[in-house]
Order: sequence, then structure tokens, then C-alpha cells
Amino acid sequence: MNSEDLKKNIKDSLFTGLISLALFVPIVGLRTEIQKEGLYIDPQWGSTFILVAICVIGRFLINLNSQRSEKIDVLGKFSSGVSNFFSGKGKQFAITGILFAIVFPFLPFTDRYILDVGIMVLTYIMLGWGLNIVVGLAGLLDLGYVAFYAVGAYSFALISTTFGWSFWVCLPLAGIFAAFFGILLGFPVLRLRGDYLAIVTLGFGEIIRIVLINWYDFTNGPDGIGGIPRPSFFGLEFTNNPKEGVETFHSFFNLEFSNVHKMIFLYYVILILALITNYFTLRIRRLPVGRAWEALREDEIACKSLGVNPTNTKLTAFAIGAMFGGFAGSFFATKQGFISPESFTFIESAIIVAIVVLGGMGSQTGVVLAAIFLIGFTEIFRELEQFRMIAFGLAMVLIMLFKPKGILEHREPTITLHGEKK
Amino acid sequence: MNEQLLVVNNLTMKFGGLIAIDNLSFSANKNQITSIIGPNGAGKTTVFNCLTGFYKPTSGDMILNKEGKLIPLNDYTDFKIAKYAKVARTFQNIRLFPAMSVLENLLVAQHNDLMRASGFSIFGLLNLKRYRDKERQAVEKAKYWLDIIGLTSRADDDAGDLPYGDQRKLEIIRAMCIDPKLLCLDEPAAGLNPKESSELNKLLEFIKNDKKIGILLIEHDMSVVMEISDHVVVLNYGKKIFEGTPKATTQNKEVIEAYLGSEE
Repeated sequence: MNSEDLKKNIKDSLFTGLISLALFVPIVGLRTEIQKEGLYIDPQWGSTFILVAICVIGRFLINLNSQRSEKIDVLGKFSSGVSNFFSGKGKQFAITGILFAIVFPFLPFTDRYILDVGIMVLTYIMLGWGLNIVVGLAGLLDLGYVAFYAVGAYSFALISTTFGWSFWVCLPLAGIFAAFFGILLGFPVLRLRGDYLAIVTLGFGEIIRIVLINWYDFTNGPDGIGGIPRPSFFGLEFTNNPKEGVETFHSFFNLEFSNVHKMIFLYYVILILALITNYFTLRIRRLPVGRAWEALREDEIACKSLGVNPTNTKLTAFAIGAMFGGFAGSFFATKQGFISPESFTFIESAIIVAIVVLGGMGSQTGVVLAAIFLIGFTEIFRELEQFRMIAFGLAMVLIMLFKPKGILEHREPTITLHGEKK
Repeated sequence: MNEQLLVVNNLTMKFGGLIAIDNLSFSANKNQITSIIGPNGAGKTTVFNCLTGFYKPTSGDMILNKEGKLIPLNDYTDFKIAKYAKVARTFQNIRLFPAMSVLENLLVAQHNDLMRASGFSIFGLLNLKRYRDKERQAVEKAKYWLDIIGLTSRADDDAGDLPYGDQRKLEIIRAMCIDPKLLCLDEPAAGLNPKESSELNKLLEFIKNDKKIGILLIEHDMSVVMEISDHVVVLNYGKKIFEGTPKATTQNKEVIEAYLGSEE
């Protein structure tokens, strides 16, 4: 390295320091404290200085690295290692993952809390897989996916509380309702693409939420719907004080009553629902309609010239994606026992889209990794409180920098002539 | 033998005040290659866009003779032209599905047949034999065409990774996979080297003679036009200025003026 480079590097690092100083002084340096006389400023020069120093030294080292003839690309190597690891062994990974998911509730470290996180991660995996059909395969950026989640949850809650039908009857009905809403949304947005589609779907998501808040007679508005029946295990209820003539799970199997039984059961319900979503997606991807979705994502005009009906193709993608969102919504309703419009805000849509995009558009395994990463880790780091969102943002920035196409960008052909490549 | 496949009568296409095609009439025969040539901006691609349903012409008729049945193309819009009238096309700037494999590209072209066989996905999801057989047939058909252009070994590679010349050929055989009655090629030789260009000529001759369909060709490369066309239509500013054999075209005064400008 010559002195010219070094000079440039130092100049650049100092400039970075200046920018970080300007950022950290108001954010970290000037902390307001409440005292009897009112607010006063408690300057934090020490921590500000450390942060700025980290930025300067970090920048200096990054520059130094990029000026070397052989770059040390730790993150790049790591990320390509990750995708190489998964791309060759898709099947083994899937089987190991499923086996792990099956034994997960009985592992020694699994307590109630970890199980709850597991259920949450699986719910998001299922939502991610559902949205993957719309965003990953059909290439329609849907920022209002939470609307279908909400429709599923509310139709489940309303049907089950009004008619008293069981979980297994209401679940498909909720899915059908959500699919119907998917088609309803699909029609007006068919002509739109890219950014415009994203804006309209975003609006649709908000419309559903606002209708849920304001249609008090029907949805109970912001008060939400409570008393949603819990699923039963072949008619056996999970409760300590059952109604007259209802058999309970623990008495039937002669077990001590425990709340964990219900959690384990819910865990397996969402696991099965998620696996059904995955299996369905993997199968339909290999069918003509799945290939047409991907073709539509690649080039709509070419699709038309080959006689593919873009309207129907897009509508099926919307409907099927929405249906799985609806299933996940019903599960959410029955798990919580109480739902209100607050659970279906835009941030939920954003998280699901983030899972799909960060996982690698169209990659089923990528969705799993991204969901564990984004939901599981942010849940485990709950003590960090407001810094959770910073970690979330940092994860996104890092993935976009080093893996702009998502963690697993590799795409397997749906059909091969010469068999699978080694 | 040379029955009329396509008759275009008084076709006019206006974009606002601009007349892109002005009262154009021509016909194309079965088992023949009809070339449409003309200087840049003459309206050649617009004619294609009208024929293949991407534009709705302002006035005029386009009638396709599909095995004795006369089909007015005006009545169909976009994807229905390819689906029902069986008019296939390629594009001036290649439009493949780049992230999908070569084989998948050819299967998307057989979408409607496969869709019917898969019972709109229901039989397909159940993995019934009826669908599996149909899929195997579709793969066979794709392989047949890949063998012809010599790309069988690359069937599982992404279409976007192919060299330019192969992408051009792939787009043509993809169009052939919908079993068209009329194939419209928009500058298929653009950007090809002489060797690729002569391979393309062979492919087109094969399609014409073996598949017994009509080909409509827009081309700037005169060597291609002169070598393989049976019939030439010359456009300039949306108007037909000449129609005849390739040989007659090169000798026509008006055509030469359109291309080279007139001597004052």
C-alpha cells in the first residue's frame, strides 16, 4: 500500500467520524432526565466518544481491507458458505428440520416460553410460505398480506362464536373466505405492477383494518372478539374445569392437568398446517399453473404471446396465497382466544414481506431461516427492548448488502430433462 | 397448394394523430415465408402487434384461415390470439423467461394443453396418471424441438445463461411449441453472426417445409430476406409501397428510393 492510499483512507475515516459525531451527539450524547425542577440535559460524552471511535476505526479497517490485493471477505464467504451448505443438501436439510420440529416440544430445554416462541415462528413460517406464492412465485409485491390474515382470524372468530362450530369446521371456511377476499382484491389490481401494486395492496390492508375497527355491530370494533373456542383433540377439551358431559384431554389419558398440553397440541396443529402449506406449494410449483406464475413474474408480455391467461393466473396466485393467510389467521384466533384489529397492523405485513424477501424470493427453506432469524431472535432478545428494531434493521441491511437476492437465492428447476445436477 | 392463410384488408392503426399503418392490405400463404420489410419506423412491428392482439386496430379486417375455418383476428384480444387462433410470435428484443430453465420455457408454451390435462391443477395435485402422461408428452415435444436446434444438452440450464444466438432460436422453438398455424417473427436475425444467421435460415426452411405453416417475417438483414422469402411486402410510412417476389423487390424503383433516398 502506498502513502497516497493511506492519506485517502485517513481522510475518509475522519469524514466518517464527522458524520457519526453529528448523528450520535443528538441521539446518544444529549440525554434528557426528569428532575423536580423539570427536564435537564445529562450529557453522555463518554459513550458518544466510544461510538464515534468505533465508526472511525471500523471505517479505517474496511478501507484497509479493500485496498489490499487479497481482500478478507468474511461475511461474503460466510454467506456463500451458508447458501452452498443448503443448496446441495436441500432434502437432508428439510428432513432434519422436520424431525427437529417434531421432537422440539419434548426437548429438555423446551419450556412454556420457548414453545410459545416456536409456535410464533411456525405461524410466521406458514405466513411466509403463503405469501411466497404471491411474491416469490408470481412476483406480485403484496404489502397488504395481513388483510387476509385478519379476514381468516375474524371469519373464524365470528363463525365459531356465532354458530358454535368446531375448529376443524371453521378452519376451511375461514380459508375459503380469505381466498374470496384474495380474488376480490385481485380484480382491481390486475393491471398494476411493481410499485403501484404494492401501494394498492398496502391500502387494501389498511382498509380491512379500519373496517374492522369501525364496523362495531359486526366486529365489535376496537374491543375485539373474545371467548373464541379452543381446538379440541378429537373432541377432548384442554381445560381444568370442563362443562358437564365434556371429556377432557388430561382425564382421558389419566394425566395431571397442565397448560403445556394445550401448547404442545397447538404447536403440532400449526406445524401440520405449515407443512401442508409447504407441500402444497412445492407440488403446485411443478404444475402448469405454478410454472405460469413464475413465467408471469419473468415476463408478462411473453406469457400473453404464448396464450397464457394472465388474469386467471394472477387471481389463482392471490386466492391461494390468501387462503393460507386465512388458515394462519384462524390458527392465530384460536390460539389467542381473543382478537382485535390491533393485531393486524401494517408492521405485520412488513415483517412477512421481509421474511420472504430476506429468505430469497421463492425459496421455501429461505423462508424458514429468515423467520427463525427475524422472529425467533428478536423474541429471544426481548430484553434489549427498543434496540430490537435496530437489530432487525441491521439484519436487513446486512443481508441486502451481502446477499441482495436473499439468503438462499438458488432456484431449482421444476422439471429436468437430464435428471438432477450433482 | 398455396392456399391463402392470412388476409389483411384495409388495416389502419392510429395513435392519436399519428397514422402508424395506413390502409394496408396484403395476404400471406400457407407453406410460404412472407417478409415484411421497410425502413425504420415504417410500421412493421405495429402490424405484428395488431395481428397478435397486442393492439386493437382502428379499422380493417384480419382473417386467418385455420384449416378451412375463417377466423377474424379482430375478435380476439391479447392472449386469446395465441390460445384460440394459434398465431405465435417472437419479439424484436428477446423475451424469454430468463430465470427459468430452457425446458421450463418450452413447457410454459404448452400451458393451455397441460392445464386442461391437469384438470385446472386438481388432477395434477393428485398426481393422476392422465396428467403425468400428458406432461411426459409435453417434455417429448420440447425435446424434439431442442434436438432440432441442438440445445438438448443445455435443457436444464437457465434460459438467460444461453448465448445470444441460442436465445433467439429458443424463442422461435418456444413459439413453435404452441403448434401455431401462423408464426410471426420480429427480426429473428438481428445481432446474429453470419454462421448463426445461416443456421436460422435452415431452421425457418425446416419449419416451413416440415410443419406446413405460414411464416411472417420482419427483417432488416437482406441476405435472410432474399434467401428464404417467397413473398415480400414493403412498407414505408405505414403504407404498402410494393408487394412481390424478392427478386422483383430489389429491382423496384420505389423500394430503392425508400431505402436509399431518391436522386434529385
